[in-house]
Amino acid sequence: MECLTGKKILTKGNYAIANAAVMAGCQCYFGYPITPQSEIGEFMSGKMQELKRAYVSAESELAAINMVIGAVSTGVKAMTSSSSCAVALMQEALSYASADELPVVLVSVMRGGPGLGNIYPSQGDYFQSTKGGGDGDYKLIVLAPSTVQECADLTYKAFYLAHKYKNPTVLLADGMLGQMMEPVEFKKYPYPEIDNSGWALTGAKGRDGRIIRSYAPLAQDRCEFLKKLYDKYRIIEENETEWEEYKTEDADIVLVSFGSTARNAKIAVKKCREKGIKAGLLRPVTLFPFPHKRINELASTAKQFISVEVNMGQMINDVKLAVNGKVPVELINKPVGIPPSPDEIVRQIEVYNGSTSF
Amino acid sequence: MEKSFLIAGFGGQGVLLAGEVLANAFMHADKNVTWYPSYGAEMRGGTVNCSVKMSDEQIGSVQDDTSDFIITLNQASFDKFTPMVSKGGTIIVNTSLAKKVKTRNDINYVFAPITQMAEECTGNVKIANILALGILASASGLLDLQSLEKALDTVIPEHRKNLLPLNIKALKIGYEYDLSTANV
Repeated sequence: MECLTGKKILTKGNYAIANAAVMAGCQCYFGYPITPQSEIGEFMSGKMQELKRAYVSAESELAAINMVIGAVSTGVKAMTSSSSCAVALMQEALSYASADELPVVLVSVMRGGPGLGNIYPSQGDYFQSTKGGGDGDYKLIVLAPSTVQECADLTYKAFYLAHKYKNPTVLLADGMLGQMMEPVEFKKYPYPEIDNSGWALTGAKGRDGRIIRSYAPLAQDRCEFLKKLYDKYRIIEENETEWEEYKTEDADIVLVSFGSTARNAKIAVKKCREKGIKAGLLRPVTLFPFPHKRINELASTAKQFISVEVNMGQMINDVKLAVNGKVPVELINKPVGIPPSPDEIVRQIEVYNGSTSF
Repeated sequence: MEKSFLIAGFGGQGVLLAGEVLANAFMHADKNVTWYPSYGAEMRGGTVNCSVKMSDEQIGSVQDDTSDFIITLNQASFDKFTPMVSKGGTIIVNTSLAKKVKTRNDINYVFAPITQMAEECTGNVKIANILALGILASASGLLDLQSLEKALDTVIPEHRKNLLPLNIKALKIGYEYDLSTANV
């Protein structure tokens, strides 16, 4: 595949992510293969060397994410990619990178869990990415693509936001998006380059040395640091919360769904409307920051929210927090695999409402 | 308009590649399209399939319970996927590797000795997958040969371009297959 712009090509989500990362100026890729995202490393192994950039086949996922920490400490764009049970191994490093305020980019292509699980698509790592498995108070920026085009566009955005806010950023895709092909067009990297010269470790020639560390032996220092960190998260919430709405203006029932599952939820809304059921869809594009405020607004007019997910019900907790008890919040889910079909979603909506309620 | 396709056969018959060519052809015809492979722990010689969806509108689900057009290149796929043809849909059956049996009367059958035709007309059995696409194009009326030829050119990598004429030949042989005799 070529780094071309302005031409539609048919490709897998994984290749779209990898090519977009290259076009975003990613200088270093570190990775360890795991299905369903191995194509990312495969692509990088050829392309990065061709472009005289760094590609390292790491000895483990733990090593890979720590290599990213090392690379981004020098201010360059760097990334790793992995999947569920292996992203689990990276949680410690993500906490450290949050405390160090480093622009780590992680592509997480979800598969079935818990444990080794299986290689089928899943959204079971909503908690892992938005709540985290590392220690302490930290938040990762989490972007959730829904199409192969978005796999590319949000990869650009992941690099931009990571550097803009000096915050680890996750592109959260899943096995379906990784493996499916769809037409995609690679635009030029649309964001401004961030100047990292004020903090990056580039050798202390002509200036004082710098230290990036998360160790904070004094209680007072840590209090101040955490307040500062949370001020940053508030700014991210104000500026970067992104979502898509479809037929929500007059919706009685608002489906909330992200990623690949939102594709089916959208068709389900169309089918509901044909049946006279006033349904709508809110699709969070950023999972952190989550569109709490907008969901709360919609809860003033809607009669019911339904979270549609491929897991046992994770995002539903954030939907409930956002709705804050105003109206009932239900779940339509599939534990693992491709999302529930639009017809299944419509059937469940009818079950929750009795077929004559709307 | 939205139409769904499924191609199935043995691993090695070029099922995924045929799907990729089909999906590219729809893209070249300015349609929205998705391609999704059968996915899981598979083994050499096992069955494989892929779903292709084409639509004028945004595509939601990439794989449905039933498909409007199904190509089955072997017996196992014919047995497994006959129930998954949409009512009024069409199944194209490779009779070189599957028995001509009609178990449903609410779908159209297109029987063709695809592997044998590939071998006799091009001297290469490996081209059966592309020949089947030719049959699909004429049986469905949803694709023209130009889009498929352009798709082949897109999918076949530079160092294999010498195989393009052979593929186009197979496509045409499939396209010109006499459908009037294919249903018996």
